[in-house]
Amino acid sequence: MRRPKKYEAGEATQYISRRAALRKLQLSLNDFRRLCILKGVYPREPKHRRRAQKGSSEIKILYHAKDIRFLLHESIVWTLRDYKIFARKTGRDRAIKDFRNLNRRLAMFPELKLDHIVKERYPTFIDALKDLDDCLTLLFLFSTFPSLHLIPREQSSLCRRLTIEFLHYIIASKSLRKVFISIKGYYFQAEIKGQKVTWIVPHYYPFKPQSRQEVDFKVMSIFVEFYTIMMGFTNFRLFHGLNLAYPPQFPSSVLQDSEDTLKDESSFVSDRIAALNFELLRTDKLQEDEEEPEIDMDLLEQDGDSKRIIKMKQEAQEVSRLRTLFKGLKFFINREVPREPLVIIIRSFGGKVSWDSSIFSGATFDESDETITHQIVDRPSLSTQYISRDYIQPQWLFDCVNRRQLLPTNQYFLGEQLPAHLSPFVDAKRDTYIPPEEKALHDPSLIETHVQSDDESDEEEPEEEGIDQELLDEQLQRAYQEETAEYKKYGGVDGVNEDELSDAEEASEEDDEEEEVDEKTRRLKEEKQKMSVQSGKVHKVNKRQERKAEVDEHRLKARMVKPRHRNLFRHLIRKQQTQEKEEWLLRKKRRTIDANDKEAKKTAKREARKAAAAAAAAASKLGGK
Amino acid sequence: MTALIDAPIKKKRISKKNKSAWRKTDIQDVEQFLEDQRLEERVGTFKDKADDELFVVEGSTAKPALSLLSIKQKRKMNALKPMRSLQALENTSKVEDPIVKRNHVKQKKNGRNIEEEVRNPTKGRHRQANADRGRYYEKLDERLAEKEGRKLVNKTAKNLWVEEDFRDQIPGLKDEKGWVSRDLAVHIAGNVGRKVVKVHSSLHHNTTKAKKFEAPHPGMSYNPSLKAHQELLQQVVEHEEGVIKKEQHLKRVTTSMFSKVTPEERDKRRLIEMSEGIQENEGEEEAEDDEKASAAYHTVNAPVENKKKSKQARNKELKQKELQRQHELKKALKKQTADLIRIKSIRAEIKEEAEDLNELKKRRKLKAERKKFEPKRLGRHKYEEPDVDVNMPEDLAGNLRNVKTESNLLTDRFKLLQKRNILPTTVAVSRKRSKVKRYPRNSHKEPGVSFQDLRDQRRAAAAAAKANKDTIKI
Repeated sequence: MRRPKKYEAGEATQYISRRAALRKLQLSLNDFRRLCILKGVYPREPKHRRRAQKGSSEIKILYHAKDIRFLLHESIVWTLRDYKIFARKTGRDRAIKDFRNLNRRLAMFPELKLDHIVKERYPTFIDALKDLDDCLTLLFLFSTFPSLHLIPREQSSLCRRLTIEFLHYIIASKSLRKVFISIKGYYFQAEIKGQKVTWIVPHYYPFKPQSRQEVDFKVMSIFVEFYTIMMGFTNFRLFHGLNLAYPPQFPSSVLQDSEDTLKDESSFVSDRIAALNFELLRTDKLQEDEEEPEIDMDLLEQDGDSKRIIKMKQEAQEVSRLRTLFKGLKFFINREVPREPLVIIIRSFGGKVSWDSSIFSGATFDESDETITHQIVDRPSLSTQYISRDYIQPQWLFDCVNRRQLLPTNQYFLGEQLPAHLSPFVDAKRDTYIPPEEKALHDPSLIETHVQSDDESDEEEPEEEGIDQELLDEQLQRAYQEETAEYKKYGGVDGVNEDELSDAEEASEEDDEEEEVDEKTRRLKEEKQKMSVQSGKVHKVNKRQERKAEVDEHRLKARMVKPRHRNLFRHLIRKQQTQEKEEWLLRKKRRTIDANDKEAKKTAKREARKAAAAAAAAASKLGGK
Repeated sequence: MTALIDAPIKKKRISKKNKSAWRKTDIQDVEQFLEDQRLEERVGTFKDKADDELFVVEGSTAKPALSLLSIKQKRKMNALKPMRSLQALENTSKVEDPIVKRNHVKQKKNGRNIEEEVRNPTKGRHRQANADRGRYYEKLDERLAEKEGRKLVNKTAKNLWVEEDFRDQIPGLKDEKGWVSRDLAVHIAGNVGRKVVKVHSSLHHNTTKAKKFEAPHPGMSYNPSLKAHQELLQQVVEHEEGVIKKEQHLKRVTTSMFSKVTPEERDKRRLIEMSEGIQENEGEEEAEDDEKASAAYHTVNAPVENKKKSKQARNKELKQKELQRQHELKKALKKQTADLIRIKSIRAEIKEEAEDLNELKKRRKLKAERKKFEPKRLGRHKYEEPDVDVNMPEDLAGNLRNVKTESNLLTDRFKLLQKRNILPTTVAVSRKRSKVKRYPRNSHKEPGVSFQDLRDQRRAAAAAAKANKDTIKI
């Protein structure tokens, strides 16, 4: 038997250096980079570098040998080789000024087909959606680029088209969930087919020059090249899912790269925003007022009291309310406000939006329109104001979306000091200790009111009372909004019963004749007369029994766990317990601190009162004398 | 005269031993000379003649006749001539090549005149070629039109994610009757030229456990709550402190390890170092030489002596060794018995050791787990976490109009790709241009101070300032 040599098996054969890969694929370094990015083949770090590099310990870029072998079969390798030939031949033609041949060659430029690669990298549509974050951010960024070295104009205009298409989908499907203004840019999070897709839109949409020292533009351009193809297929699928015509037909004046738009940056941007402000063509007859098929929550009812189900129900209700958040509202955007993010937000929650038609194209109504409910301004004061509308700052929209309800506008009025803009990516309902201040920021109704009910409350300063009043207003408004939203949804104040009743009525109306209707109304009247109000009884909660039931349930759960999952179960339970304990500890700590504070205040006040009394007594004495 | 002009022919030297040999001597030159003298006597010398007889003054001013060809034409004519560089290769021999057909090349008559062939085809193949060419251009036009059309039509307007079977695309592979197994179909597809390549699963494996989307810190809001902003600032401060600490460490270990001197001191030291052993030691050297000559050779170590041990000594040594061994055995036995009593504490020791090992194992496991979230080392450079974007408290505007943006999204994405092990970390290298010395053209020189002069002055001043900045590290 032959004696095995060193590095003929094991890790040394699993990895291949970049240079060796180049030699194997017969490509130049640039072509290889491109191929790798397009195919999603990335360098690897071996477990034992010295072994993988056949004894050398310098840090080389290594690839899996299997990956490179996989690349060998790729058809675009041939296209990349053709590029080399193409470049040489056209170069020759240009040098000898054989323009006839040159034109012929240029016309037959070998095209890089990436369709199959998209399918290969993302076997299912959901896979593609999962990887949309990077793609969208890059495309939004590149859509602002002018024609640069290494980034052709076609690429950036393609990016612009794709991003506008995507935004139209977001608007049409009303899938936007969270928005956030950070110092980096505007964060948007949408939920598409159950996948959370997040992207960032830069602040100053017009192009800002980038340093080439930090970023390899060529590499990024290749990424974008792939992402444009992927985005194209995704957009098509998304549009078809909504029965929208693809590609969307924009008005002829919009998105045509004319001399004017190419020269003037502001008109270039306004063009893009104008493209966002109109309804898309649908392939079916249904109009937008129809609702998407909702998950029938009643089907999940078997486990009715389970915490998760309740949470899910709440979530679904909130989302359905969010989708029509701005329905029936009309916004007018002043010219100093960045319009793009606002248009996306307003339109995707059912609002109508317009702007100054004399400056930007695409406006749908004038400022003088009396039906406008909100005007968005971002300046300290305004000379002419309409009484019929609220003048608010742009943050209001963002906060409304994040809280999933229409907030009172008084804190966001023109020139008002804005409340803090909180990140929606920090879960307000997380299962850890949340200090009361933070809770109050998320939901003003949660402020503990026991302080006011104390005997000192009448001694509070008038400012705080004002705040209380505001708070109360807010709560009332909120409750009203929730009520109306529910009313809209279920058709009645107290939900399901009324709804069914009206349904039954309608059905009977359709079927039977008028006589029967009369009879029915009569019967209803009788029933109403029979109805009476009885005094209710307070439902007593047996705490001990409840506790016992809980323990029993827990035991049952523990018994149900399979033996192999027992450790995991134990681990989970312990984790939960520690978390609860931590939370409890923190809350206790807070309580003691608060109590101490209060005590200190009380004593201070008492002393002050005593001193005042003493002073008064002294004064009276003096007066008496 | 002719003799003077003619190149001197080397004479053949012949032995002049015999009279007959003398006869063979070439006396042509002598005879020529005599003949010339005679001619002079007859005709007279140059000196005798007047200048007028010898030279003629040209009166006419007529220029040489202009050539009929223009310069361009002449150049063309010259171009037709064989190249100068190839002249050396030309066969100038008068001797004819004995082999007539050597390197016979069929000379084309300037190739085919395709234009002529197109205009009036004479042969069948000309017509054929014309038809072919016509068809080719037709096809090309079609292709171009199609390409134009494709530009208008959206390339991506189709449903990509449709279930497809490769067997549907190759006729005869549809397995309706169960005759063609899948393996066979794969094999045939490969041979037909449509190889089915399986994507191995490791291509889709995640190389890092870090999240794809990292939620922004709430302090990054354009109008953050005080607490969140303070937290973010704290984070930035910690990061910066780490950087400073590292820098200080590096400075301590490198720069401050070496002493610093002033430039004068440095020059002095250099002078001393360079002149080491040149001037002062001359006198001593001589003395040393004398010493060397007088001293005999000797080593530093004492000479080795081969001492033999006596038998008695050897026996003694052996005995000692044996005693030592027995002593050690005894000691071991004693320890064993002692350990019997100590068994409890030994157990504790072992337990402790095991615990230590366990601890180590745990720590290693934790480290490995942590490493899964960190970016991998793919290339020469290590990934470095970018700075945290934060608005300083004075930059917080509180409204959207005056927001101060902090980060560059492109850089951000680029770094994120590096962090997710998609790109190896690289450092941009800018190619240094070679220095070109520039001179102003004389025609562009102005009497005042030129820009270049100013620049040179500035540079010289900067260099000088840099040279005696403060101290110089040695």
